[in-house]
Amino acid sequence: MTSYPNMATVEVGDELPVMHKRAEEAELFLYSAASFNPHRIHYDRAYANYEGHEDIVVHGPLQGSWLTQFITDWAGPNARLLSVQWQNRASAFVAEELRFSGSVISVDQVNSSVELEIYERKEDGSVLMPAKATVKLEQS
Amino acid sequence: MSSSLIPPESLARVGEILAGPVTVRIDRRESQRYAYAVGDLNPVYFDDGSAKAAGYRTLTIPPLFITHALVTPEPASKLRTDGLYEDSTSVVLKVARMMFGGEEWDFLEPVCVDDEITGTTRLLDLDQKEGKKGPFVRLVRETTFTNQDGQVVARSRQIGIAR
Repeated sequence: MTSYPNMATVEVGDELPVMHKRAEEAELFLYSAASFNPHRIHYDRAYANYEGHEDIVVHGPLQGSWLTQFITDWAGPNARLLSVQWQNRASAFVAEELRFSGSVISVDQVNSSVELEIYERKEDGSVLMPAKATVKLEQS
Repeated sequence: MSSSLIPPESLARVGEILAGPVTVRIDRRESQRYAYAVGDLNPVYFDDGSAKAAGYRTLTIPPLFITHALVTPEPASKLRTDGLYEDSTSVVLKVARMMFGGEEWDFLEPVCVDDEITGTTRLLDLDQKEGKKGPFVRLVRETTFTNQDGQVVARSRQIGIAR
């Protein structure tokens, strides 16, 4: 049985388990299809290059959904994601190794919620996406 | 002082509805296809018992899927060379390129399969700023999602950076 954080156990500084993602062409194609997104930069390398991208571009909302997965995998099914916000600082490309890490930066006992600070980084450590989120956790 | 990248007629559109209202019934298979494409196989999206045990009425959906559930298909004849659809509501700016700057989401009520969700998108803000690489425009669209009971279930602000 996986144990999830709750308001009795969570502490400022707790780290979320690191999550790795890497999307190949087929996975990006599948996301384009599932999100009904025909934008050519997500499947046509020559066109992506023509627009100035070094390779096929990973969709912004796909990285957003990886972010919510990173949070809900840690928080567990009984928790509720209340808010999330992120900035897209640079593009991620096909087959790049991407890494999500994050920690608890505040605990609000009154509202039974915690605030998280999260980063999606490339292999060289550069930040693609800084993010924050608020999650409501169970009391115990 | 650089000249304005925002034509007055575009500035006048702040507050205007850009898309919608569009109403869609949340489809279980579409939601699950989305979850598979993300690689997020959370049981609350797939198994009714798990969803109910977690306090949902029935299967819930990946949080950001709600945006994609509301996409309205268009004929291929409306595709531009970049693969995007022609958008008659897009805000005219004197810029070369619009980039995806980020998003902000508030989740107010659970969204479950078979909910009837209505989405309306407004031009929330349009602002010219000075950056290190010169002037740019920050464009914010806000989508409000309501359910069949009239409850606002989520709000998203999509931030575009244009220069």
